[in-house]
Amino acid sequence: MDKTNDNELMEQVSAGKVEKLAILFEKHHVRLYNFFLRLTGRRNISEDLVQEVFIRILKYSSTYQARSKFLVWLYSIARNTHVDHLRKRKDEVPLDKQWYEMESTEPSPAEKAEKSQEVVWLGHALGKLPLKKREVLILSRYQGLKYKEIAELFGCQIGTVKVLVHRAIKELGKVYFELSGGTAL
Amino acid sequence: MKCNQIKEKFSDFLTGELDKNVREKIQEHITVCSSCREELENLSAIWTKLEVLPEEQPSDKVRTRFYAVLDQYKQNQDRKTVRPRKERFSIGWFRHWIPARPAFQFSIAALLLVVGLAGGYFLRPGWQRKGEIVQLRQEVHQLSRITAVSLLQQESLSEQMGGIRWSSRLSQENRASLADFLRTLNLDISAISPSRNNSIAQSEFMQSLSEQASPVVEIALTFVKHF
Ligand SMILES: [Zn+2]
Repeated sequence: MDKTNDNELMEQVSAGKVEKLAILFEKHHVRLYNFFLRLTGRRNISEDLVQEVFIRILKYSSTYQARSKFLVWLYSIARNTHVDHLRKRKDEVPLDKQWYEMESTEPSPAEKAEKSQEVVWLGHALGKLPLKKREVLILSRYQGLKYKEIAELFGCQIGTVKVLVHRAIKELGKVYFELSGGTAL
Repeated sequence: MKCNQIKEKFSDFLTGELDKNVREKIQEHITVCSSCREELENLSAIWTKLEVLPEEQPSDKVRTRFYAVLDQYKQNQDRKTVRPRKERFSIGWFRHWIPARPAFQFSIAALLLVVGLAGGYFLRPGWQRKGEIVQLRQEVHQLSRITAVSLLQQESLSEQMGGIRWSSRLSQENRASLADFLRTLNLDISAISPSRNNSIAQSEFMQSLSEQASPVVEIALTFVKHF
């Protein structure tokens, strides 16, 4: 991994060395893609959103404040990009119905099929959560953001984030339990 | 700790952000409180369950498009930075007379100023009084232009500002004081030479020069003092 940290790299991008953004892209784009994938359940859309985030980073690079953590800045752009996307596609399929168009799988071992089923249930359960709960859960569970950073991102108290995480998991568990017919957890 | 205080810590429990002390307190509590135990077990189960959502790799399209955008952005950026430089250098024939290094630019401007003043002085006897003023005015005007241009070519903003001030001075209110200045020069060129005795004119002249807070003028001033 590059020794220069993300904040320093972004400062350099901000100062006009845009080629440094390539390092940040290589480091973060897969994670960012998965953030969108878990948020939307759509691969194509997630790829478009990743693209849009990096375009916005270029566009707003000069507004980057050296003191703010790059990861928080990145995800604030990502959240806005996603919300703008939702506004544009308001009239389309409800979110919990558009989860992970799973590729039709070849005949697979029973274990693998079971796992796929869990993935589908979890995906649908996540899709049923209100946006903020879904975001907070994904950010804390998968994106490696601390509660403190999420609080900064959401502009709220750290305690609020903890309560939100707690409620989000509780709700997710409930939906998952219903979807799985009360058998699996 | 009471149940609600314990439950407040559950989010931290899941991410492992608790110190050992608090963790132990929670574990103690759930051995005696079935309600809290059940809730924590459920939360932990679903938190762990989230592992099954796999991390996927995006298609190559993402990378390809990103680098295309980055290249495009860099090209636009280069074009933007090249254009003003082009304008800066398109001052015409003047450009070829001005060396690239600021130090040389200053020296040349200073030298020209001195040469101009000296030339005006030595050539004076052969001229008509009126023509002399016109000629001197043109020379000083030209020198000032060189000074302004050389200042405008500087990288630093403050020096450029100096150049802008200089050129605006030239074109506006200082026409009158330029005439005064030339008249002073014409009537008593000794003002610029310490070996002559008109100390009032000399100090006024020096003062008016030192008010031009530019390094070029400072250098010129040093030359003039030894003239
Ligand atoms: Zn309890």
